[in-house]
Amino acid sequence: MSIEKTITSSTEQNIRSRLIGFFSDVTDLTRFTGRFFKEAIRPSYEFSEVVRQSYLIGYKSFPLVAITGFIIGLVLTIQTRPTLAEFGAESWLPAMVSVSIIREIGPMITALIFAGKVGSGIGAEIASMKVSEQIDAMEVSGMNPFKYIVVTRIMAATLMLPLLVFVADAISMYGSYIGANLKGDVSFRLFFNLVFNTVAFSDVFPAVIKTFFFGFAVGLIGCYKGYTANRGTESVGEAANSAVVIGSLLIFLLDMIAVQFTSIFFP
Amino acid sequence: MKKTTGERVRVGVFVVVSMSLFVACIYFIGQRRQLFASTFRVSGIFNDIGGLQVGNSVRFSGINVGIVSNIDQITDSTVRVEMSINSHTQKYIKKNATAIIGTDGLMGNKLVLVVPGSPNEKVIADNDTLATTRPVSMDEILIKVKETSENAAGITKDLSVIVHNIRMGKGTIGKLFIDSAFAKNLDATLTNIKQGAGGFKQNMDAASHNVFLRGFLKKKKKTEKGN
Repeated sequence: MSIEKTITSSTEQNIRSRLIGFFSDVTDLTRFTGRFFKEAIRPSYEFSEVVRQSYLIGYKSFPLVAITGFIIGLVLTIQTRPTLAEFGAESWLPAMVSVSIIREIGPMITALIFAGKVGSGIGAEIASMKVSEQIDAMEVSGMNPFKYIVVTRIMAATLMLPLLVFVADAISMYGSYIGANLKGDVSFRLFFNLVFNTVAFSDVFPAVIKTFFFGFAVGLIGCYKGYTANRGTESVGEAANSAVVIGSLLIFLLDMIAVQFTSIFFP
Repeated sequence: MKKTTGERVRVGVFVVVSMSLFVACIYFIGQRRQLFASTFRVSGIFNDIGGLQVGNSVRFSGINVGIVSNIDQITDSTVRVEMSINSHTQKYIKKNATAIIGTDGLMGNKLVLVVPGSPNEKVIADNDTLATTRPVSMDEILIKVKETSENAAGITKDLSVIVHNIRMGKGTIGKLFIDSAFAKNLDATLTNIKQGAGGFKQNMDAASHNVFLRGFLKKKKKTEKGN
């Protein structure tokens, strides 16, 4: 009886401490987000650092995103073909694949790759800066580490992800064109016409808008996890890991919200 | 310093390329939605638009020439559909052209089909109203199909009864097919008729040489020659 009581009370304590941890994390993250906007608006601006981070975050992610996009377009086309062929609707293949890629698969896959590569990188980098007391050193030397480290990275992530998605979508389409020609014969012009006869503004704009939020979420979580890491060296790995996990989860949550908004504004 | 410049250039190229892709995408979508083309507006009043939506295509001679730009309910049973059509097509659409709501393929999107008018008629003007034709809805087609299939089922049922009766040897045709005695009788009857007809012919030939009938037959031949 007393053992059961002890187990129950320890479970309760565990749940309570987890809940407290979760809500205090939410409060800290909200405060962190507020501080980002405050620091982002207030001069001076670190433009050159934003460009450098854009290079590291955006340009350097391009090969990975391009390969993923190409494979997704190719595979999606090959996988969709048999089902459409059953209905005699193979001519709908470019239209169907393009809408899927532009609306959902392109932004989601790119954002998840981005969270994996960039989110973990930011988390680990800032956490290691904290462990090696570089952030403290910056504060001592009169610099604003939040502005220099956090604001620049979040801004670069927010601006670079949409651009990566444009490129990924275009490369996916090319992959899809190759996929369509593996077992069929579709000219590039016909493929192009079939795609743009189907794709509408209501497919493109919501997809573009949500990628800004995805980029912001990845950058924010990466920076937050790195900036609030403990002093120990193991916290670097923890920061990188949790940045990827929470960043990916946030992408799915934001996508769900985006779908609801899209259905309201573009019925 | 060199490294920073290189990074800047690469970021610049990346931004320009990706933004160009986005702008090109917007342009091509806009081009198909007649966003950058010169257009004129016409409208049509329908009783039932069958799920037509703003943005659906307007098709003339099998070519997409415009889009549905607005749909307004004007009374409890009439809907005004406004169409934005490419100006290049205006000279081919006459005042007596008609608009009909159709479907792109069997399962495709709804669209407005503009049926050409007579060549001698005047060209349609901006903000004109096209005459409309009530489209045959899928429901109506299905009702007709149902009626036809019911009729076909009735006919098939009757045919089945007839075939069954024939197989059972009922009725004249059934007896003919199944009853061999009946068939033999019929055959014998036909042989008798044939023999009877032969005898009758001989009698008639003999009668034509008879003195009493000779005058009558000559008179008949003369009448036939005169005609």
